[in-house]
Amino acid sequence: MQIRFWGTRGSLPVAPQAETIADKVADALVAAEGRSFADKSAARAFVDTDLAFAVGQTYGGATSCVEIDVGEGAFVICDMGSGVRELGLDTIRRFSDGSRPKEWHFFMSHLHWDHIMGFPFFVPAFMDGAKIVIHAGHSDAEKALRRQQEEISFPVPFDWLKADIEFRTLETGREYEIGAVSVALVEQDHSHDSYGYRFRDAQGKVAVYSTDAEYKVDRSETLSAMTSFIKGADLVVCDTMYSLADSVSMKEDWGHSSNIVAVDLCHEAGAKRLALFHHEPTYSDADIQRMHEETIRYEELTREDAPLEVVCAYDGLCVDV
Amino acid sequence: MSDEGLEWRSEDRAGVIVVAPIGRVDESTADDFKEHLVAAASNGVKTLVIDLSGIAYMSSRGLRGLTLAQRAGSTAGTTIVLAQPNETMREILAISRYDMLFRVADTVEDALEE
Repeated sequence: MQIRFWGTRGSLPVAPQAETIADKVADALVAAEGRSFADKSAARAFVDTDLAFAVGQTYGGATSCVEIDVGEGAFVICDMGSGVRELGLDTIRRFSDGSRPKEWHFFMSHLHWDHIMGFPFFVPAFMDGAKIVIHAGHSDAEKALRRQQEEISFPVPFDWLKADIEFRTLETGREYEIGAVSVALVEQDHSHDSYGYRFRDAQGKVAVYSTDAEYKVDRSETLSAMTSFIKGADLVVCDTMYSLADSVSMKEDWGHSSNIVAVDLCHEAGAKRLALFHHEPTYSDADIQRMHEETIRYEELTREDAPLEVVCAYDGLCVDV
Repeated sequence: MSDEGLEWRSEDRAGVIVVAPIGRVDESTADDFKEHLVAAASNGVKTLVIDLSGIAYMSSRGLRGLTLAQRAGSTAGTTIVLAQPNETMREILAISRYDMLFRVADTVEDALEE
């Protein structure tokens, strides 16, 4: 199973300004200390191995969209933030050799704008013969998607889409078989509720997608429920938008979690790997890299059993599970 | 996980209450940690100093107790000051940004100063 991150930013898409790129180039040149490169591949090797990620690359700015790929059957996708545009184009390339069906299954964490805004730009929805199934814990998913394509918001009405689009409302406490994966969901604290998903492939590997989830300081039962849900997972994608201090003070009830709680959850559940996700849109690449480094350190300081690997999701990251 | 509870020491330093938990803040002791601090912060003293020197480290379980104590203190008019965390605790307070929610003093004596 491969987990591909097409959009990792929280709340609002962001894009670097010209000055940000100029700063990265200047920092890279300073780091190169006058050395020369025989060709582009040598320069690229320098970028990949010698430069800090925040200098040589970027975490990206597309909103939530994560693919659960078992390499066969229908495409399985969590959320349709602005990252779903690139995913749509890439999946068209991948099914063009005939090895995969023209079928996409979405699993919606919830229906807030940043998690559905990419759908009007999802090219397969405009294709004859395409099948799209939208799974959600919410019964009003269709209403949300139709509403964002009403005339006041978008020029192309939902009914003009050519794909066969079906909505399915899922229930917690059950496991569903969707092609080559089985899926379960859990309710999370967030405005209008959100749902986390647990995907298990035929080899028994487990990946959990849990975003836009808040763990209130006086509601330990939600932490216990999530600990059970992610128990033994091979990868847990977690909402780590805020610092713990922000999540219990100014940003309490804004519906998000922290890197600290994510590590604690994974430690208690015996998860093997944590992916930091739903990055704060005001954070620069340097801010996100610092948060990643601090999270690795916190994991070391509080570890009691097996190490938890902490990766930081970025647009374009692919994790083998 | 420890089966042993936390040990608590408490003293009145000229009207400032200094409490010192000693032991591990884990699944078995987190409720005691929270309840003890909330009670201490609800007594209406002007300043409550929590001496952290006897705590090796804490996860969000313990930090949650600090938050609830601060909320109780806010209602009761009590300011909480954290004192003499070890290097690990100091790092955890920084990573969680709790050092921006609480004043953190190097020593109990420093914490007693306004």
